[in-house]
Amino acid sequence: MDPSEVEFLAEKEFVKIIPNFSLDKIYLIGGDLGPFNPGLPVDVPVWLALNLKQRQKCRILPLEWMDVEKLEEIRELERKEDAFTPAPSPYYMELTKLLLNHASDNIPKADEIRTLVKDIWDTRIAKLRLSADSFIRQQEAHAQLDNLTLMEINTIREFLLDSLNCMYKLRSNLQPGSTKGQFADY
Amino acid sequence: MFCEKAIDLIRELHRMSDGQLPAFNEDGLRQVLQEMEALYEQNQADVNEAKTIGRADLIPSIKLRHCCLLRNQRCIFAYLYDRLLRIRALRWEYGSVLPANVRFHMSAEEVQWFGQYKKSLASFMRSIGGKEGLDITQDMKPPKSLYIQVRCLKDYGEFEIDDGTVILLKKNSQHFLPRWKCEQLIRQGILEHVMS
Amino acid sequence: MEENFLSLDDILLSQERLPVRTECVFPRLGFLEKSSDSQDIPEGTKMELPLWLSKGLYEKKRKVLSVELPKVYKEGWRTVFTADPNVVDLHKMGPYYYGLGSQMLHFDSPENPDIAKTLLQTFIGRFRRTMDSSQNAYNEDTSVLVGRLDCLEKVLFRSGQKGLNGFQSWEKGQASQLTASSLVLNYRKRKLVDVQA
Repeated sequence: MDPSEVEFLAEKEFVKIIPNFSLDKIYLIGGDLGPFNPGLPVDVPVWLALNLKQRQKCRILPLEWMDVEKLEEIRELERKEDAFTPAPSPYYMELTKLLLNHASDNIPKADEIRTLVKDIWDTRIAKLRLSADSFIRQQEAHAQLDNLTLMEINTIREFLLDSLNCMYKLRSNLQPGSTKGQFADY
Repeated sequence: MFCEKAIDLIRELHRMSDGQLPAFNEDGLRQVLQEMEALYEQNQADVNEAKTIGRADLIPSIKLRHCCLLRNQRCIFAYLYDRLLRIRALRWEYGSVLPANVRFHMSAEEVQWFGQYKKSLASFMRSIGGKEGLDITQDMKPPKSLYIQVRCLKDYGEFEIDDGTVILLKKNSQHFLPRWKCEQLIRQGILEHVMS
Repeated sequence: MEENFLSLDDILLSQERLPVRTECVFPRLGFLEKSSDSQDIPEGTKMELPLWLSKGLYEKKRKVLSVELPKVYKEGWRTVFTADPNVVDLHKMGPYYYGLGSQMLHFDSPENPDIAKTLLQTFIGRFRRTMDSSQNAYNEDTSVLVGRLDCLEKVLFRSGQKGLNGFQSWEKGQASQLTASSLVLNYRKRKLVDVQA
């Protein structure tokens, strides 16, 4: 998958906005949105929130986990644990980028949040590589990918699948008689 | 050794590993086919001799030549097949009209194959997505907006957009255009997508 | 590991030459052996044949050929690989170390189980390094990193780089930018070179 496709999926997540206009309920294939009243918070998908924000039609409320204290806690836990801890959101990386790039004026301590999320990401990616290596080293047949997010898996997917294919082929060499003695005709 | 010409064909293609299409090597292909003919005739003669006067000692040599025939065949198949894959990719990169310097590298049969692939892709795209059909070569990346800002990288000439207005695409001019109209031109390096 | 009939890589791999010894006469093919001027290739001739031909001629029951193990797969080198797989330049020793090694198992030899084991252990032992270099090297010249890798590892390195580069360009906000096809750009570059030449 291209990362832009992963980001596209993240844009379906909901976020609270405070509009500065009024509009009746709108009916879309993906569900009904609104009604919109000035000053009253309403849930909309991220793609719409960003579009309204760019046209200065709303203020975006930070997601509940976009908070320095909460993120610091998550970072410490992530560093302490060997396994992957639950991510703040299945799209934490994408949402951070989207919201901080387009609505940083609505999110307090935006720079600190950016750094914290990047720290969490780096810690998790380092873990991911460590476990990929031990997976290969111990010749495991399956692995548990609990709590990994799509973007994380996506950065290593092709590499890991190719590696596992190689290892599978080299391992099947160990079974005598699997292909031995009978050649394909070329 | 036999089959040297055939492996040269493969090496030639392998060197251009980024999907480019080298000129169709008609001469190389002919030489491989000539070698195959010679191998086949020699084998025919030896087989006859082995059968009629019982010269079983010829069999190892017959087998060796036979292996070479199969090897040449494999190399030619792989050469032609790999080229078809590259030619198919061209449809997605350039659109349905190929520049002359690319077409120049194709054999007559390949040009014909490209034409047929183009046709079946077009009729598939007409058959889906309701009356209008659906261009599946568009929006290779999820679109962020319907209109995008583009800069012209070369003089292209007049260009008609949806509402019928005609604009002049001149080198270094900037335009705000419907994304679906530009995507192909961007891929061809005529326009550049300007990010805000 | 079976070959893929249409794969260019596999065709080049099967072009690797193996030391063989003929176990019978090959009449009327003497011209293939440059050192002799006889009409036939006599029994007991030592020569080098590509893998595909050795494979095609090899038969267990009626031996027309015996195939010698290339030295990287012999016991001496196997010990080196087992000691520290990371010090070996697999490009120089190969470059199809794993592919050719796997193919060698087709020829009957008591050493086969040990060869298979060494191939797997070598791959596992070098995995971390292949992964780390492919996932860390961003925007730098990778030729040094790739230089000592076997062909199979190079493919892995490239898929690792693809993942990394994709993510990095997304992070910099370039992922949604429409770009010219690299194929188109390469053609243009080549045309330019043609014109200059």
